[in-house]
Formats: sequence, C-alpha cells, structure tokens
Amino acid sequence: MATAIRMHAAGGPEVLRVEEVAVGDPGPGEVLIGHSAVGLNFIDTYQRSGLYPMALPATLGMEAAGVVEVLGDGVNGIEVGDRVAYPMTGGAYCTERTIPADKVVKVPDSVDDNTAAAMMLKGMTAEYLLHRTFPVEAGQTILFHAAAGGVGLIACQWAKAMGVTVIGTVSTDAKAELARAHGCDHPIVTSREDIAARVKEITEGKGVPVVYDSIGADTFEASLASLSPRGMMVSFGQSSGPVTSFNPAVLAAGGSLYYTRPGLANYIATREDLELSGKRLFDVVGSGKVSIKVNQTYALTETGQAHRDLEGRKTTGSTVLLP
Amino acid sequence: MTRVKAIRFHEHGGSDVLKLEDITLPDPGPGEARVRNTAIGLNFYDVYERKGLYSIELPATPGTESAGVIEALGEGVMDLEVGDRVAALTGPGNYAEAINVDAGQLVRLPPGIDDRTAAACMTKAMTVEYLLERCFQIRRGQTILFHAAAGGVGLIACQWATTLGARVIGTVSTQAKADLARQNGCDVPVIMAQEDLVERVRQETGGKGVPVVYDSIGKDSFDASLDCLARRGTMVSFGQSSGEPEPFRPLLLAQKGSIYITRPGMWDYAATRGELLASAERVFSMIASGKVKITIGQTFGLDETAAAHDALENRQTVGSTVILP
Repeated sequence: MATAIRMHAAGGPEVLRVEEVAVGDPGPGEVLIGHSAVGLNFIDTYQRSGLYPMALPATLGMEAAGVVEVLGDGVNGIEVGDRVAYPMTGGAYCTERTIPADKVVKVPDSVDDNTAAAMMLKGMTAEYLLHRTFPVEAGQTILFHAAAGGVGLIACQWAKAMGVTVIGTVSTDAKAELARAHGCDHPIVTSREDIAARVKEITEGKGVPVVYDSIGADTFEASLASLSPRGMMVSFGQSSGPVTSFNPAVLAAGGSLYYTRPGLANYIATREDLELSGKRLFDVVGSGKVSIKVNQTYALTETGQAHRDLEGRKTTGSTVLLP
Repeated sequence: MTRVKAIRFHEHGGSDVLKLEDITLPDPGPGEARVRNTAIGLNFYDVYERKGLYSIELPATPGTESAGVIEALGEGVMDLEVGDRVAALTGPGNYAEAINVDAGQLVRLPPGIDDRTAAACMTKAMTVEYLLERCFQIRRGQTILFHAAAGGVGLIACQWATTLGARVIGTVSTQAKADLARQNGCDVPVIMAQEDLVERVRQETGGKGVPVVYDSIGKDSFDASLDCLARRGTMVSFGQSSGEPEPFRPLLLAQKGSIYITRPGMWDYAATRGELLASAERVFSMIASGKVKITIGQTFGLDETAAAHDALENRQTVGSTVILP
C-alpha cells in the first residue's frame, strides 16, 4: 500500500485527500519507485481547480525523484537501488508508484533528490528552449520574458553560462534585482519601460535573434518588434492569455521572422531526447552553473497547504513535497 | 536621355491594363547603371504587382528581373563597367528595352550563363537557394515536401534538393506536370486532385511526416501542410498563389508537434550586397555544373506581354517564361 494525494472532484485545495492506495507490481517495462521528493508546479493547481480537466479520481503531480525498488520484466539499463527522477508523468503525489522505465532518468550524485524533484519540468524546459528550439550561441543577446519566474531564473543562469547576454522582462524592481542576481544582464521593468524600444537601444538598433515568451497576449507585439530580421519568436506559454490568431504575413512584415509554439512533451518524446535533456540539465546543475532554490518543503500529507501557499504567491523559488 | 519601349499600366486590373508605350529614360543617376535588356524574366510576383496586391506607384512598369548589357553608368559605381553582361534583380520595372537600376542590384554574369537563362531563373533560383540552404537547411537523407513542384521555382527546387541528397515529395495539378516534376528530380509527385496528400506523405515517411514543407500555394494548402510535418518540423510559407492563408491560432503549432512557421521574403535573405552576390554565385555554380538545368518553356515578344501574363495565370506555362524585347 502507498499513501497518495487524490481528488474525487475538482475544486479548492480541500479536494486534495490523503488516501491509502494499492500499488501493483510493475508490469513489463515498468519499475516501482519509492519517492523521496515530489515537485510542485502551477499546472497542478490548474488540474485541481478544473481549468485543465482530469479523469477522476485523480492523483496530481508531474515530477518526482526517488529510488528504484522493483523491476518489471524486460527492463534494461536500470537497477534496483538506482536514484532516478522523471518529468511529465502524472500521478506523482504519492509515496510510491509504478512507471514505465523509459520515462525516468538516473540522477547523478552531484544532484540531491529535492533539487532533482524540483527542477525536472522547469529545467528541461530551459534546456530544450536554449539548446534545441533555438540553439543560442555565445556572443548573442536574447530576450527572455518573465525572467524572475521559475523557468526564467534557470534560463538566465543557463544562458549566461553559455556566453549569452540576457535581456529579461520583470514586473517589479524587486524581481529585476532577483533576475540580475541570476545572470540577467538587462532587466526591463515592464510597468514603466517600453520593451521593444529598450531592446533596440541595448542592441544598437539591431534587435535580438530570439525572444522566449511565456506571457502570450500581452507581449506578442512587443516580442515581434524586438526581433532582428530572420529572428525567431518562441512562444512557450500564455500567462496573460493566449495569443490571438494571426496571418503568416505578419511574419514577413516583421522581417522574414520565424514563430514556434513548443511544448516539453515534444522535446522529450523519444528516449534519446529525454536522456539528452536530462544529461544537460544534471551537468549544468551538478557543476554549479545553474542553482535551483528549493525554498519550501511540505510533508506530502500537507499538499493542500502547499497549494494554498503557491496560489497565494507566498512561495519563492521552488517547492517540494516530502513523502 | 533615350527613348525606349516599355510595358506600363495606369491602373490595376487584368492583363489588358498592360500597354506597350514609348517612354523617356533619363541618364542613370548616381549609383545607377543603364542596362539594355536582352531577355526579361516573368514571375508571379509581376502579376501580383499588376493586380495591386503589392503597393506600387502608378503608372508603373512591372518586372522583377532581366538580363542585358550595361550601356551607361552613373557616378560612383565602382565594381561594374560599360559592356558588362549582367542580371538585374529585384526590380521593379524590368519590362522594358532598357532600364536604369541601382547598381547594387546588378550581378555580373559569368561566361557559362547565357542571357535568357539568367533572365529566366535568377529570382527563382536565388529563392530556391535561400529556401533550401538558409531558411531551412536541407540535409542529406531528408524527405521534404515542396508544393507546386512543376512551377518555375518548383522545378529548380526539385533539382537542387536532389543535389543536396534530399528526397522530394512534390505536389502538382496534372499528370503531365507530375511527369515533368519527376524528370526534374521529384521522387514522389502527388497529383492533388487524385490523392490525399497528408496520407501519402505519412506513407512515404514511415508515419513520421517531413521535417520541412515549402508552400507557395497558401490558403488552399495551409492546413494540409501543417499536417504533413514531423514533430518539430518547419512550415515555410513563401507565397500565396491561391490567396492568403486564414489567420491561425498559435496553439495549433503546439498541437501539431511543436512545429515552426516562417514567412520569408528574398529581400531579407539578400539584404546586403555580400548576401546578394553569395546567393548569385551559388546559383551560377549550380547551373554551370549542370546540376540545375533551367527549362524555358515559352518565349513572348515585349508586345505580347499580356498574353504571357494570361498564360501564367491560367497555368498554361511550363517551366520558365522569358520576354524578348
């Protein structure tokens, strides 16, 4: 038996219940993992509230770290006792679970369990954005929106380590300082500065080759206006609402621009890509070039409170749940 | 000053607005050269100009490319001489016996490239160069989808992509065009009226889809093009012969597999003199080596320009078309 946080109806944090559930033996190709830390993400609260509908009853949670306890038939390359972590596999709010072996990656000694659980989604997102969606190169200047957010703070440090100059947008002066402390060279406080004008000023009129935009509707036009000819707009979220439909001619008018709307699932869909992403993330965190701040921990049984604090904006950095 | 015959239109409309008129050409200004045209290329862009899709001051002379000989130079032109055989790129105004053009848009023709070939292909071949080698870099072993494979750009693209080691799926409208595309290196011609394009592309790629689609059709092909793409593939929308695509929801790109879309124009890929010359050099070497052959399917006199436009719009032309002044 395992302890799991389950919900039988969508709603507020009170719908999250501590329950005992049976965990079967791992099937062919699966492993059973005992969790040591579970990551908390905003998407979890959207699933809980019903914004992203779930089949019920549901166990939330998209990422965790732990130890392999039992191997199913036909599992190769992974042993009982291995420390592992995984992103993007629902049902992580529990003490132990079965999971396809090809969805987990081994965690090196240089990265502890809390850090691993906290960073899989955000860290792999930063990895695919900077290394694969648009591979940034040393000497380039880029624009990264929401630079003080969860993905933003990782991306600022990572881009800096790659030799890139980072312009980042933030909402307040306090966040500008936080972003700067994480490697953002030019924080732009959006409440009082014109994004595209500042970008043009910083780049001496050229614009940037890439914009990473998770804000969506509110920043769409400023993002396109910040690009140099043949530059790329990477729209990877919409915290202010989705970008409205547009005609491809908009991209021609902006200077033969590229536009993409990526998602993590498409960048870790194959075993090869998942391992690549995991290796890059563990290397950059293990070497200390990117530091992950786990500023809050909660017992798994207090997950409801963790949701309240996250939604109430009382948390900073990352949060993990401890089974 | 010199008097020359030129095609002009005083209003936008059908091919009947194109008039052959005598105009006075002033001496070339600073940085300009006067080119005596020997052959003028015909492009769909010219039709859009005539119809008024692109803003142009009236009266106007259409045309985006021609070849000829420099007969006079304005002040300050350094790297060209009277008597040079050149191609004049990115008009407008090439539909004339002679034109004054910005010397920065002239490219000297090497001995292996004759005037008709140059006039017929420079814009199209340079378009293919930037599409296949820069906008999305084709790699050996890839299978790509190129729409309108039997068109002027398409036939060059099929040969060029084959030279790069790619396998080409190309869309065409008729069996005759399928045969023509195949002769030019298109491995899998797909006749649009007879086949389900998306299904065929999936079949040809083991279900994966293609890493890139080059689409100059626009509205009619847009949705199918996105469905033909592999995960993280790139949609290159470089024209709209069937009309502008409908506005699309960006989230659609996530749903189709984190795909990319770009809407390029040659002006951004030949933005500097260096880029223009490098692109032209690449085209010359492809033609001189015989890897890319230019098919001139028909020629028209300057006084038959309206008929040339009609033929192009009615899909009656094969390969490239040249107007001979």
